[in-house]
Amino acid sequence: MSRNRIKDQIAIVGVSSLPRTRDGNRTARSLVAEACVQAIRDAGLKREDIDGIVSSAGPGHWLIVPPGVTEMTATLRLPNITYLNDGMGVVVSPLIDAMNAIFSGACETVLVYHYNYRTPFNSKLAAEDPFRRGFRGYDDYPAENVKNATAYTAWCARYMHENNVPREALGRVAINDRTNALRNPLAAMGSKPLTMEDYLNARMVRDPLTMFDMDLPVDAADAFILTTAERARDLPHTPVLISHAVQGLCETASDEDQLASLAHHGQDVVVRQLKQKGARGLADVNDTDIAMIYDGFTFISLSWYEKLGWCGPGEAGAFIEQNWNAQQNRLLLNGRIPVNTNGGMLSEGGTQGAGFVREAVVQLRGDAGERQVPDAKSVFLANGGFFYNSQAAVFRRDDS
Amino acid sequence: MNATQAEALARYSHRAIDQDNIGLYEGWLAHELRLNKCADCGKWHEPARAICPSCWSMNVAPAPVSGRGTVYLAILLRQGREEEGVTYPYPVALIELEDQPGLRYTSTVIDAAWEDIKPGTPVKLDWTERNRAPFPVFRIDQTRINEVKS
Repeated sequence: MSRNRIKDQIAIVGVSSLPRTRDGNRTARSLVAEACVQAIRDAGLKREDIDGIVSSAGPGHWLIVPPGVTEMTATLRLPNITYLNDGMGVVVSPLIDAMNAIFSGACETVLVYHYNYRTPFNSKLAAEDPFRRGFRGYDDYPAENVKNATAYTAWCARYMHENNVPREALGRVAINDRTNALRNPLAAMGSKPLTMEDYLNARMVRDPLTMFDMDLPVDAADAFILTTAERARDLPHTPVLISHAVQGLCETASDEDQLASLAHHGQDVVVRQLKQKGARGLADVNDTDIAMIYDGFTFISLSWYEKLGWCGPGEAGAFIEQNWNAQQNRLLLNGRIPVNTNGGMLSEGGTQGAGFVREAVVQLRGDAGERQVPDAKSVFLANGGFFYNSQAAVFRRDDS
Repeated sequence: MNATQAEALARYSHRAIDQDNIGLYEGWLAHELRLNKCADCGKWHEPARAICPSCWSMNVAPAPVSGRGTVYLAILLRQGREEEGVTYPYPVALIELEDQPGLRYTSTVIDAAWEDIKPGTPVKLDWTERNRAPFPVFRIDQTRINEVKS
């Protein structure tokens, strides 16, 4: 039996992303509802066609203000739901859930939505917003912790101790994103380039990481419509097929401080599966046209390059330097393949990978406007961090 | 519930304490860093769980560690929420305890310059007061400073 029976059987046929804002005054519910309606219409479907609904508002979401699936079903008056789940917050997880539901026959067409919402804990403007005064933080730990966000700063410190990686390598990740964001009208940081001088002089938040090393808190909503590849071919857009979607949990999971070492974590579990399944772009990056490399922290991107095998352990800094295109002020892997064409989460805005999925679909459809990668056929998405949300996906254009 | 447990719950009222981890806080009251240890396989684990993550024995109980270790990694918080005893910039260090390879406890290092809190630096357990209750911290162990390893 094939290890990947679901390969290319499920398609993304509708997408919507709302503009990312750092000063928005709408509720998460309002943003999600608008994105969902746009995605259903983008797919050429009606409310009656949606029989599955999956959100990223499940346990472990960093906001305790979830517009969950029962509420969203009521808001949109979806009459035919036969599958529902509030899933994990990082985007490939709810996509996998929706795929499996379609593949099993529990439903045929799923609305998946994801949202991010600034909290009083990660945004000064949100802290001043009286409508957000009741929010409880996801992080409620004493200062002496290396959990969640802090874990990446901590393990970056260890990585920089073990490897001779200059801060400029992290800076390149941020600059690449910013350069790409300048051509993305949805991006929160789409109007001003970032220089290496800006990066090196930036305010430290937790040494060794600065404000430019951490993804941008934004209000944002994204929605996706998934259905069978067969049905997708009757719908308006060129279908985007999901060839691979995997996730991996390392054994110490959310005990981030007990991870044995950087030699093995969730990203290794993900890559092992991609290898077994022969995912396009893994063995030879030239087999993909666009790489989306998770950048919730700049350090996470460095780790992905090494774990994917595109360079050796500890060599991500040199890899980035070798693949830097000075003229375009951004990364072009092998001189050709752009990285995070939407500006990534550092400059489009932090959406736990949802922006990458929308960008991949838009690029594969050929609808990315001035940032379109010519004849993009395949996108490789390395998503999530090390501990409890490592994931990856490979998408391809149906006719490729 | 015994009297010590009641005292731990009362004096560490801002901590998330339950039946599985209260032994840690009873230890704090006694100026002992007690981590969970498995009576069957002998392995320590942290944070405290009701089951041994290694052998799945339920026969786990808090026991005092030596308090000696080395800095595994350290970060410097430039901002954060207000807490008694915490002033920013504030170093947070992951201490690898000598009791078992890979057994780590997260705390801070006191009376040390940030530049000196490097991976491999030998440290030893010490105690300070937070909210009028004992709180475990580490300080650089000058007697072992020549053993620096990474």
